[in-house]
Amino acid sequence: MFAGDVRAVWELDLDIPDGSFTTLLGPSGCGKTTTLRMIAGLEMPTAGEIRIGDLVAFSLAKGRSLAPSKRGLGLVFQSYALWPHLTVAQNIAFGLEVQRLGKAETARRLDEVAAALQIDMLLGRYTSELSGGQQQRVAIARVLVMRPSVLLLDEPLSNLDATLRMDMRAELKRLHAETGATVVYVTHDQLEALTMSTHIALMNEGELQQFAPPLDLYARPANRFAASFLGNPRINLLEGTAERDRLLCGGLTVPLEAPLDAAPGERVVLGLRAEELRLAPIVNGEAAAGRARGTVTAVLPTGSDWYYRVGLGAADLIVRQNELPDLRLGDAVWVAPEPAPLKVFAADGRSLTGAAGLATGAGLGTAVAR
Amino acid sequence: MRTRLQRFRLSITPQRILAVLFLLLLGYLVVVPLGVMLQETFIVHPLERFQIPGSMPGDYTLAHWQRTFVGENAYAFFYRPLINTLIISLGLAFLALAIGGTLAWLVVRTDLPFKGVISNAAIIPYVMPSWTLALAWITLFKNQRIGGTPGIFTALTGIATPDWFAYGLFPITITLALHYFPFGFMLIGGALRNIDAQLEESAELLGASRVTILRRIVIPLVLPAIFSTFLLTFSRGLGTFGTPAFLGGPVREFVLSTTLYANLIGQRPGIGYLVAFVMIALGVLVLYMDHRIIGTRRSFVTISGKGARAGLVALGRWRWVVAGAVLAFIFGVIAVPIVALAIDTVMLRPGVYALSNFSLHYWIGEASLAIGLGTGESGILRNAQLMRALGNTMQLAVVVALVCGVLGMLIGYTVVRLRGTLISRLLDQLSFLPYLMPSIALGSIFLAMFAVARGPIPSLYGTFWLLAIACVVNYLPYAVKAGINAMMQIGPELEEAAVMAGASWWTRMRRVLFPVQKATYFSGMLLPFISVTRELSLLILLVTPATQLATTITLRYTDRGWYPYTNGMVLLLVIIVIGSTVISRRLMKTDLAKGLGG
Repeated sequence: MFAGDVRAVWELDLDIPDGSFTTLLGPSGCGKTTTLRMIAGLEMPTAGEIRIGDLVAFSLAKGRSLAPSKRGLGLVFQSYALWPHLTVAQNIAFGLEVQRLGKAETARRLDEVAAALQIDMLLGRYTSELSGGQQQRVAIARVLVMRPSVLLLDEPLSNLDATLRMDMRAELKRLHAETGATVVYVTHDQLEALTMSTHIALMNEGELQQFAPPLDLYARPANRFAASFLGNPRINLLEGTAERDRLLCGGLTVPLEAPLDAAPGERVVLGLRAEELRLAPIVNGEAAAGRARGTVTAVLPTGSDWYYRVGLGAADLIVRQNELPDLRLGDAVWVAPEPAPLKVFAADGRSLTGAAGLATGAGLGTAVAR
Repeated sequence: MRTRLQRFRLSITPQRILAVLFLLLLGYLVVVPLGVMLQETFIVHPLERFQIPGSMPGDYTLAHWQRTFVGENAYAFFYRPLINTLIISLGLAFLALAIGGTLAWLVVRTDLPFKGVISNAAIIPYVMPSWTLALAWITLFKNQRIGGTPGIFTALTGIATPDWFAYGLFPITITLALHYFPFGFMLIGGALRNIDAQLEESAELLGASRVTILRRIVIPLVLPAIFSTFLLTFSRGLGTFGTPAFLGGPVREFVLSTTLYANLIGQRPGIGYLVAFVMIALGVLVLYMDHRIIGTRRSFVTISGKGARAGLVALGRWRWVVAGAVLAFIFGVIAVPIVALAIDTVMLRPGVYALSNFSLHYWIGEASLAIGLGTGESGILRNAQLMRALGNTMQLAVVVALVCGVLGMLIGYTVVRLRGTLISRLLDQLSFLPYLMPSIALGSIFLAMFAVARGPIPSLYGTFWLLAIACVVNYLPYAVKAGINAMMQIGPELEEAAVMAGASWWTRMRRVLFPVQKATYFSGMLLPFISVTRELSLLILLVTPATQLATTITLRYTDRGWYPYTNGMVLLLVIIVIGSTVISRRLMKTDLAKGLGG
């Protein structure tokens, strides 16, 4: 809770597995950065407990709050926060000097980490003389030199241009593998989360929506928000009703193998990703089971695939095809659903078809903040 | 309940401790003296009991309030000075606005040549002591009224200057306007500079004429700066002492500040403090209006960084004429007083402006009752008293600059780090409070507070520390504002990174925050240094013979009509002040405009 009754993070109960690459994902203002800062010790939770390994980093009940530097963490800020009046070497060695590690050891670790991140030629420069990518490496080096067991990264790639971003993503994964540290990564970019993480904690408006490995989250989202947030282009959502043995949504009919936890005739929403729809030109005019008639309203080729915007009744769907199409603007098409797996949501947003979620594993830590 | 206690315990950080300490300190130095002063207005003081029949010293009384506001002499002793003050302040605000605004427009919006020179020189009239122009005016235009010798003008032309021209409201208003126009120049210039060119260009593309653009876009955007300048110069005019003292004295025209002084010197503190209170109330009112009218609208002038100037107005053939006029004006305002004062210091027999009368007696001559004015005083540079006063001033200036610099940074740090909390808001507003008080009134509340011992704090009257405290409190608003701006620019993450590395609070200050703010620190120190050097109003009530300053000691000499000594001291001060501005600008690239809150 922040001053003025702002609920930044609410009733968060999270168990981050040891050695994982966990991403805190969500739109702006969802509380992910606040959560990261609470783990780091820069913000104080108004209730609850934070444990890192066996260490109790914070506990309101016991009135204990461990200083950030004693939690065995490293934090890379979004703006890098490099000290402009110090050289690269001085920036990196700062923490070691504060801990009084001794000149020899400090120099050794400095050289080691500079070589690992390929910044050894830059050690004498000031931070204003570095490019964005170089600054980021320095920021990471500054953290790694302390040999933390947990690495916290606050949207580190958002200040970089697109090409550099791709390179850095691979770089960060490599570092994760090499150091074996647990990584907690904050981002609003769902693509980054999908490609880099072992686990994703999806948050919205201060509340945890789902915690699961990326592909599980993609396939079995816990609610409508989770379904819409992941996946590019956005998932198509069709409103309709649930019968005992089938769904009637937006003109499409989807057979159900097992009945849903919904009353017959209840309003539901069917989620179909762009790759879960099949288009076929209308040749003979004969209907087929489950298909509906639509009209192509836009053709968007990307070089490797084709995206079509199809008008289906009142709804607009985005469909992806990767075969050579015969479809042009204005064509009438058959639209067939091929859900893999089926994603249906109740009127209040929750999933009726099962959500992926990690049971508490060998926990790195539990963050409970109210 | 227990969790709230735990939360409280965990929230005790160095920032909060500092904040509380500063709050207590400022409360004691600013709020308490105000209360004490107010209290004094209800008490009978030793020499006042003769005017209040049947009273004893120490009694509570409403007599002071009565006499001031509704007494039979209320008009002469209070309302007339009040009206004078308002007239002068309004007049000077308008003039300063007109001059400063025109200058700003010329420099920012036209293709005037010599812009660099003009911009740099335009600040100087503010840097010189405000009463330099007053003294110069007297030197130039004085007539027989004050006896002694005629001014340079009369000596050269033989025409006697009329009283209303030489003394009183007219010259006071003009000289103050000439002192304060740099305010308008900087504020309005800044506003004009910050108008995003695209705002005007989009209007132009829609077909608006130059005049329409000026009228409907530029002026509304600059309006907040115009109002601000008006109110700021108005409030500064309220509290100024030197100029009205020098120019109003000879014709017995009083303003609130001189009334205050007269009452306190005349051992009538009850009335004196009441006048101070009125001045403070006026100051608060004016700045409250500033905040209400402008506060929210200030955000209209966007600092987009792309304030690329829209098309400059071409002055055509008039370019050189206008430039010449502007340069002549500015250098006139700077040079004429200096020259007039200089001439006066090298004329042996006052009033005789001939080369044969040239002498350096007043500078380096020996004490003598026979030469020149026959004062028995050594020349300025050999005069122990004067040199000691100058030394005091320099010492005070350096001490105050250092203290203000450090305090400003620390308080700025505390306010920004605790942003959003009640304690931060309180600290911010408390450190801003002295800004609302006219200088001489602020001096008077310190007199009220520290003239006698209170509890464990001994009387500070007559000490160097009293002067230092008064100055620090007076300039604290500027220092804190600079500190806050610096901290906001830096952002919290530099310090947080140090926190993550395990640095203690002191280490973070020493190795990260202080070093990073070095440049702003020096800029923030220049203003107090210059201001203390030329400060008169604030300290006139607090000095004693032992702690005389260069500025206050000149009053002694003017009272006796020994102008050469006064003028000489002022010249020295002007040289020091202009010199330090120029040097620090060269060496450390300090920008005075930033320190002034422009």
